[in-house]
Amino acid sequence: MTDTTAQPDGELQAVRSATSQRRWRTGAVVLGWVGFIVIWELLSRIIGEVLLPGAFKVGGEMWDIVRSGLFVEHFLASIGKVALGFVWAVLFGAPIGFLMGRSRYWKAFFKDTVLVAGSIPGLAYAVMALVIFGISLWGPVLSVALISMPYIAINVAEGLEGVDRKFLQMSQAYGRKPRDVYRHVLIPAILPFVFAGVRVSFAISWKVEQLTEVFGSNKGVGFQIRSAFQRFSVTEVLAWVLLFIAFMLLVERVILVRAERRLFRWRTGGQD
Amino acid sequence: MTATSPHVTRVGSGNRIRRALTSPGGARLTSYVALLGAWFLLAMIEERVPSPPAVAEFLWIELTGGSHGGVLKGEWVEHILVTMERFGLGLLIALVSGVALGIIIGSSRYFYALLNDTLLVFLALPAVIWAFITVIWFGIGWRAPVWTVVLAGAPFVAVNVSHGVQAIGSDLRLMSDSFGVPLAKRIRHLILPAVTGYIFAGFRFAVIIGWNGVLLAEWFGAAEGVGWRTRYWYDANRYQGFVGWILLFIVIIVALDRLVLTPLQRRAFRWRDLGSEAIEFQEALTEETLLPSDEHRS
Repeated sequence: MTDTTAQPDGELQAVRSATSQRRWRTGAVVLGWVGFIVIWELLSRIIGEVLLPGAFKVGGEMWDIVRSGLFVEHFLASIGKVALGFVWAVLFGAPIGFLMGRSRYWKAFFKDTVLVAGSIPGLAYAVMALVIFGISLWGPVLSVALISMPYIAINVAEGLEGVDRKFLQMSQAYGRKPRDVYRHVLIPAILPFVFAGVRVSFAISWKVEQLTEVFGSNKGVGFQIRSAFQRFSVTEVLAWVLLFIAFMLLVERVILVRAERRLFRWRTGGQD
Repeated sequence: MTATSPHVTRVGSGNRIRRALTSPGGARLTSYVALLGAWFLLAMIEERVPSPPAVAEFLWIELTGGSHGGVLKGEWVEHILVTMERFGLGLLIALVSGVALGIIIGSSRYFYALLNDTLLVFLALPAVIWAFITVIWFGIGWRAPVWTVVLAGAPFVAVNVSHGVQAIGSDLRLMSDSFGVPLAKRIRHLILPAVTGYIFAGFRFAVIIGWNGVLLAEWFGAAEGVGWRTRYWYDANRYQGFVGWILLFIVIIVALDRLVLTPLQRRAFRWRDLGSEAIEFQEALTEETLLPSDEHRS
């Protein structure tokens, strides 16, 4: 149960025990996946293939979807809408956050809206987008933009408040024009926070994007999930959503995190 | 937070109206008016969007039980009650199972390695998938909404609780080991007091996510309830009814969150250094709230 099986008996032993611990943990991770799949298969046998298709059946379906090229087509459609939504979210959210961070008036102005927006159910965004745009590309884009905007605004506002006041005072003391202050102090300071806002809201935004596609769309992963539901095919619902999750986690964990680290390496003094 | 920030303070020119308008309260009021104005504008541009007066009129009829024309009567109490029953039951199950799972995952590195990936998959599954699957499993009725809340909410409780258990200092755990404290006592006196705040934070996410889930499950597979009623008006092409119910379910969750959960949570964390405003900002908007706690029960 405890974390300290290593005895302070010398470096070599410590290293050895650390290695064996790591091996143990890797083993546990692998075992976790195997266990997950075995339990899933067992449940499927007990409940029945129709209600809960087994892991291998769903896996086969996933392979079919990928091989037929359907996945690439619809995944690209979905992620395109997510990306477009983020463009709008940054275009509106960053200035709002900027105002909130710089002026007490605008902070009070936007605060309620931004806080409430965080607890509105995704369903509300999805169906509102449907009412406004009908079945179109812009519904999902709007819901992504609306759901991620508060995160970006909050991040930028907090980031601005954290800008070292010495820089601002120094700029003033040296008689820098406001334009220069914005360009060289404030905007570089908030960019990482814009990015962090995007990364934090990414997990929520793709879910809402997909939900909006469920309600009204003729292309995209959400549309496929809806069609599968209408055929009462649990296999297809699971196959589509698992593929979608896998790729979205990949985008989130690998691409966004790496890009962030790389873009803003200068901030940490190149430590990593 | 506000004291150190580079705010631009506007000093009124002695004009009281102007000062009132630029005060924080005035700013809030202006923002509400602006939102309402934006809605009016949207309703004018887009035919499908009902105007605020139309929605207000609908809500008046619906809430007072008047007639929508013909035999169609306004009704809301029974829908909100039935949804709340499903929501409450689902949350209770999610809370209990999430706490148990979180304690298991957090209490040992090997359980963590064993179960964490599975938990991540469950965290990533959107609520609508659970709504679809449970509707296929259980058909139309109360079970699909309840299980959607459980399946969508429990992982969020579990992940928070497991972080809370991991945050317990290893010195305390080591000491319990050395003195041979039995497991039951350890859970009661060490783990539970340390994780109550985390349970609370996880529960709050479960509430927000579960609310979305219960509405979705009712939308796709129920014959009564808030989600069903919203869909009813959508299918009837009466967008003022549809928007009215969306407003109602937003008001319910925001009131629950702002008036019940946030004050309770702030109370639970009042010993902490952060100002209440900073907590609000963080709590409202981070996915995983990982905060230590004192002994406050959700």
